Amino acid sequence: MPFREINSKMVEATVMPGQRLFSQRGAMLAYKGEVSFTPNMQGGQGGIMSMIGRRVAGEATPLMTVEGSGTVLFGHGGHHIQVIQLAGDTLCVEADRLLAFDGTLQQGTMFMGSQGGVMGMVRGQVTGQGLFTTTLKGHGAVAVMAHGGVIEVPITPQRPVHVDPQAYVAHHGDVRNKLSTALGWRDMVGRGSGEAFQLELSGSGAVYVQASEEKL
Amino acid sequence: MTTYPGAGPVVHDPMTLPSDDNVNNYTFCVELKGSQWFLQKGKMIAYYGTVDFNGIGHGRLDRLVRTSFHSPLHASDWVVAEGSGKMLLADRAFDVNSYDLEDGNLTIRSGNLLAFQPSLALKQSIVPGFLTLIGTGKFVAASNGPVVFMEPPIRVDPQALVGWADCPSPCHHYDHGYMTGLMGGLRAMTGIGGASGEEHQFEFVGAGTVLLQSTETLMAEQATGAVPHEPGVPGGGHAPTGHPQQPGAPRLPGQLGDLQRRFGL
Amino acid sequence: MFRLQGSKVLAVDMTGDAVKAKNGSMVAYDGQMDFKKLSGGGEGIRGMVTRRITGEQMTLMEVKGHGTCWFADRASEINLVGLQGDKLYVESSNLLATDSGLRTGTSFTGMRGASTGNGLFTTTVEGHGQAAIMSDGPAVVLRVSPQFPLTVDPGAYIAHQGNVRQSFQSGVTFRTFMGEGGGEAFQIRFEGDGLVYVQPSERNTIAGDV
Repeated sequence: MPFREINSKMVEATVMPGQRLFSQRGAMLAYKGEVSFTPNMQGGQGGIMSMIGRRVAGEATPLMTVEGSGTVLFGHGGHHIQVIQLAGDTLCVEADRLLAFDGTLQQGTMFMGSQGGVMGMVRGQVTGQGLFTTTLKGHGAVAVMAHGGVIEVPITPQRPVHVDPQAYVAHHGDVRNKLSTALGWRDMVGRGSGEAFQLELSGSGAVYVQASEEKL
Repeated sequence: MTTYPGAGPVVHDPMTLPSDDNVNNYTFCVELKGSQWFLQKGKMIAYYGTVDFNGIGHGRLDRLVRTSFHSPLHASDWVVAEGSGKMLLADRAFDVNSYDLEDGNLTIRSGNLLAFQPSLALKQSIVPGFLTLIGTGKFVAASNGPVVFMEPPIRVDPQALVGWADCPSPCHHYDHGYMTGLMGGLRAMTGIGGASGEEHQFEFVGAGTVLLQSTETLMAEQATGAVPHEPGVPGGGHAPTGHPQQPGAPRLPGQLGDLQRRFGL
Repeated sequence: MFRLQGSKVLAVDMTGDAVKAKNGSMVAYDGQMDFKKLSGGGEGIRGMVTRRITGEQMTLMEVKGHGTCWFADRASEINLVGLQGDKLYVESSNLLATDSGLRTGTSFTGMRGASTGNGLFTTTVEGHGQAAIMSDGPAVVLRVSPQFPLTVDPGAYIAHQGNVRQSFQSGVTFRTFMGEGGGEAFQIRFEGDGLVYVQPSERNTIAGDV
């Protein structure tokens, strides 16, 4: 079910019987027709285990199921919205940036502390996202929010990309990520240039970076 | 050095600035030729020429208030700009657009109305927090993101509503469908699953146009007398909580100000 | 070398040279980059004294390397200004980056700062090269000429260049102080020959709401 961009801050989705979408609670701006918005007990797909996973993760994003027959306008806080089309690959996105997505996509959570130890914890602190991120896989569309819009930076095997963790929104493709420090310890102590921590993404795919270091 | 190179924006001067039109999506230029415009306080960013800004409701501007501005509660938020020159208006980098009303009526959230010509009459809408403009003239509205026009029938999240034109006032629509059944009962009792956040909307029917913006955060609400108990929703009538009051502005004759607010309107 | 990717992200392609940018404004880069903290106001003792006096908030960093570096700050709109030996005066909080051919310094602006909380000083950029300045919403560039002086709301002012004089104009009547006035007690008047950059917002990007 495609999302039609009305303007940079609003998308429209058509809902038909038998299909459904998931969206962030409270993200509906207006609708026509008969559409129901049900808070997700499960918090999306993936069943109980996934929900528990999310609880453990402390995922703050409550989702709702949107179904029925009509058209719905989505937007949130006047933030810019980017629609990303997935064609079988996996998108990793910060949970609170998800505005809405196709019900046919498979949703899961990924533990980002996988590099282990201190760095894993640090990453959670630095991005403010905690240790988990949401993954979406399959064929369908995802509407993602960001402060000020995003730019897409391609990642190629020869050119890994470094991203300010607070500007990171999402990435897709076959990408590995790890947190790194850019500088020597002297800079670390004095907080340096403010770029003490970076997310290093390598492999092939693309990363979406927002034009701001602010969380939503 | 007379050349100013730069890959930057177009340079404007009094000749090239448009009259009563947008300079860019976020800035509007009003041309004053010895004329007046009503303007929300603090929204002027620059001007060429000679322009005076005065609060409403005093002295010779009193007559203006009687004919054009029927909202004593709001009087302190508005000023009259008069003079000759070109004046740029903007509001917190929100999208601004001008609209022409021709013997029409439009109801708009008070925080979204930026400026209007005195040929329009401003009245307070029955729906608290909204103002109605009637007559013929131009006005400028600001919104978070471009305004989207839709036609009824439509249900709108209260916070996304900017205003409506030529159609009947909205009614409330409550959606508690998910509260029914076993699951619904569980939800209601235990609160598990929470609320979808979409339980309540404004419903519009009939002919006309509804104006929406992409935001669930309201622009700073101009104190209107009734404080919503849910953001954007009219109703309540409680004493103001957390609404920015004009700090220490003394009440001048003819302006009941906070008294009216306190007793709820 | 400086290019805009969209209106809120500055992309700089570097081949071993350096640029100065606002601390913490890097959002992504590829290749290899080094980030070094610099202090505003200038180098050495004089710089230190200037910083003390001015209380300059702005801290700059130097970015050097090979590859592309992307800069952004709070989703502010970015405007590129090309300088050819002239001088740009810009609110320190509105300066995003300058290339290696430009020098930055501080200058005293007088009373204007008092009303907006911007501080009494502003950053100067001069030399040959490109600077990127930021605004809350796309900036409007207004020409000031001898026949047409310009009056600007201090919260909307971002930068100016050319041969202009600033004076501080007190808004209106005593009613202003009674809360019944024009909304902005003070305005800045520009006279002369040059350009002024204003943003469509009365907010200063550093301080938040006015």
